[in-house]
Amino acid sequence: MDFTLSDEQTQMQESVRDYLESEGGIELARRQMDGEDVVGEVWDGLAEMDYPALSVPLEYGGLGDDLLYLSLLFEEAGRVALPGPLPETLGFTVPLLAELGTDDQKEEFLPAIADGDLRASVALYDDATESLPEAIRMEAEPTDDGYRLDGTKTLVPYAESVDRVVVPARTRQDTGYGGITLFFVDPAVAETERLDTLDKTRPLYELTFDAVEISGARLGPVDGGGDALKRAIDRLNVSMCAMLVGGADEAVDRSVEYGKQREQFDKPIGQFQAVKHRIADMWLDAEAARSLTYYAAWAIANDEDDARQAVSRATWYCTERCGELFEDDIFNHGATGYTWDHDGHIFLKQAKTWANLLGSPTEHRRRIADIRL
Amino acid sequence: MVIEGKHLSKITADVSTVAKPRMNFDYTDEQEAFRREIREWYEENLPDGWIEGDRDLPDDEDEREQFLREWQRKLHEGGWAAIHWPEEYGGRDASLMQQLIYQQEKARVNPPPERSEIGVDLVGPAIEGFGTEEQKERYLPKILSGEELWCIGYSEPDVGSDLASLQCKATDEGDHFRINGQKIWTTHAHKADWCYMFTRTDDSGPKHHGITALIVDMDQEGVTNERIRQITDEREFNQVYFDDATTPKENVLNEVDEGWEVAMRQLSFERISLSQSLDLERRFDELVEFCKNETRGGTPLVEDPHVREKLAEFDTRIQAAKLTYFRNVSKQMNGDLGAEASFGKLYDSEIAADLHRFRVNLGGPKAALWGDDSPNGAAKDSLANISIRIGGGTSDIQRNIIGERVLGLPKGDQE
Ligand SMILES: Cc1cc2nc3c(=O)[nH]c(=O)nc-3n(C[C@H](O)[C@H](O)[C@H](O)COP(=O)(O)OP(=O)(O)OC[C@H]3O[C@@H](n4cnc5c(N)ncnc54)[C@H](O)[C@@H]3O)c2cc1C
Repeated sequence: MDFTLSDEQTQMQESVRDYLESEGGIELARRQMDGEDVVGEVWDGLAEMDYPALSVPLEYGGLGDDLLYLSLLFEEAGRVALPGPLPETLGFTVPLLAELGTDDQKEEFLPAIADGDLRASVALYDDATESLPEAIRMEAEPTDDGYRLDGTKTLVPYAESVDRVVVPARTRQDTGYGGITLFFVDPAVAETERLDTLDKTRPLYELTFDAVEISGARLGPVDGGGDALKRAIDRLNVSMCAMLVGGADEAVDRSVEYGKQREQFDKPIGQFQAVKHRIADMWLDAEAARSLTYYAAWAIANDEDDARQAVSRATWYCTERCGELFEDDIFNHGATGYTWDHDGHIFLKQAKTWANLLGSPTEHRRRIADIRL
Repeated sequence: MVIEGKHLSKITADVSTVAKPRMNFDYTDEQEAFRREIREWYEENLPDGWIEGDRDLPDDEDEREQFLREWQRKLHEGGWAAIHWPEEYGGRDASLMQQLIYQQEKARVNPPPERSEIGVDLVGPAIEGFGTEEQKERYLPKILSGEELWCIGYSEPDVGSDLASLQCKATDEGDHFRINGQKIWTTHAHKADWCYMFTRTDDSGPKHHGITALIVDMDQEGVTNERIRQITDEREFNQVYFDDATTPKENVLNEVDEGWEVAMRQLSFERISLSQSLDLERRFDELVEFCKNETRGGTPLVEDPHVREKLAEFDTRIQAAKLTYFRNVSKQMNGDLGAEASFGKLYDSEIAADLHRFRVNLGGPKAALWGDDSPNGAAKDSLANISIRIGGGTSDIQRNIIGERVLGLPKGDQE
């Protein structure tokens, strides 16, 4: 038993951190929030450093590393709330392609992802009030040489900044993850409409498929894509957790720094125990979130029996507890923390968004109970 | 901008051939063999019926003492009384990994309490770290065998968290010290042979200076004690009065006036040994069983959605505690003695507090009963658990430590 990172993993993480800092750190997220689209620029830089190659299998020009390595990358990305479909492309799509893709599909897409030439996202929801997998409603009708997609997907991240979107649709009347077929679609075939989002660093879109006929876009078996999708969603959850862990670590650091600098009643506020103890409690939660996330990543990478439980544990804890932690960070900064110019809200909005996007904290706790009890 | 030499592919090429990724949760054959050795020993030596769940200790105090003495003797004979101690004093020189495995197995069977626990976990390491060769040979083996029991005298009526302000006076009288003053909350003083205590030998300088750690014979005229009744209705701790008690000079631990160093190291022993997470895991399993068997309105508790969600929450927090503990032990095994050891004392005790409260509430109206009629024994556990937040540095003192030593926040006025 050894629950520490290897030298390689540590060095990798440091390299990512140095690189992102040199690129302006959280300024990238700021520019995205101000309406710029920085995703192309961010991605080109990441590609220079081989980051998109991380989880791509070796035979397709990647580095062949697993979800734990990816999580370390995401942790650093999360520290600066890095915009871009990094979890969607590397955490979600790559393993799905590697698992379900035909040789041709893998040849076409995986090296392109590794080289930074292709980004991907995922269009899960047909109904933004329903939870997964019930929210997957779109039906795909077989045509002579493919399928016809008809309907509107919503809450699709970065739809206008990606080259492909994974679209799950029902090809057989079924519930849960049954009867689902996956399609790997160019979003240009759909009409996109940007939604107004809580988290302005991660735009969400509506994607309307108006009886669009597609061919050669099916990914994996007919009616049988649900299982792989379920696992891919788990990986996406862990990827998001890892970003939140990075954000939580950063928020603790920021509270500590402010606690040392800001003076009231002739003392640094970090000397007041109400503040000090709150920060100590934030630290506990950040460390706990990190342990749960690393373990979930490791458990998935190693196909452990308790992987699904581990994912749900990490997910509710990171979204709910780190969400509270980000609020505490804002509180520790007083009115300064309440301003748009202070970075606290960037992390908080991310946590709040993710807390409901892939299963609410309550849904994840129920899932744990259903497995354990 | 590209940072030269920092490309991922380069890092991978540079490092991966030499250093394999560390993270794994596997145990080597040797470690598994060690685990089996402990298991088999427990199976053969635990009191009859213990593993099956019959874990009641005798009600009568003398019988209970006899029972615990017998258990300590067995542990000692089997070589399990203090595996982390050096072999020459009766330990096994166990590695951190072996200690962890031992803790896992111990948590699994939940053996009787160790009569020598205070000696083994707290006094032993201090004597081992600061004692003379004579002191080690004289005291350590008898701690392990349980022949001699110890108590610890830090706290005084006016001295708790602020240990450095202690007043109990020791005066130098040539070949011995004369001790006058009072200690309080002294666990097991009523049955201890020795007290490992902190005294004031010089009050002319700053309060951290002039403290001396002494080993004092409890069986002398100048030492009297009074047991104190606790909220659990037990009487495990005491007031201890020192009226012209004496102890020879050779019973000073470390140098005269340099006891603070000993106390500081002491508190860190206490913190590291206090990860409750493995025990919490077992308690959680027991709670799940309880919820499966207990019904309300004909429905098992475990089918109540609220109960299910609470259980899932505990499951997660306990796993977080355990995994962080594993992470910290691993760091330690790789030579990194981070301040992160402070994590467990605070984090685990918060889980324990919530878990015990929840257990009481699950008892239904019957939770009003005490003793054998208390559902699941939860009432007493939930009371006893409060002491974990107080003893060995209160939870808020832990928050100070994390804030100041781990995170580097400014020290408060009080220090
Ligand atoms: C079951 C049990 C067994 C014990 N056994 C022993 C023993 O064998 N030997 C021994 O010497 N002692 C023993 N103790 C005593 C224990 O070490 C003390 O209770 C502990 O150090 C706290 O001291 P106190 O009780 O005087 O509380 P105080 O220090 O007076 O604290 C009272 C309250 O004030 C808070 N507080 C104090 N200072 C600060 C600060 N700087 N910042 C924030 N909050 C603060 C505390 O957190 C607490 O809530 C035992 C205690 C218990 C409960």
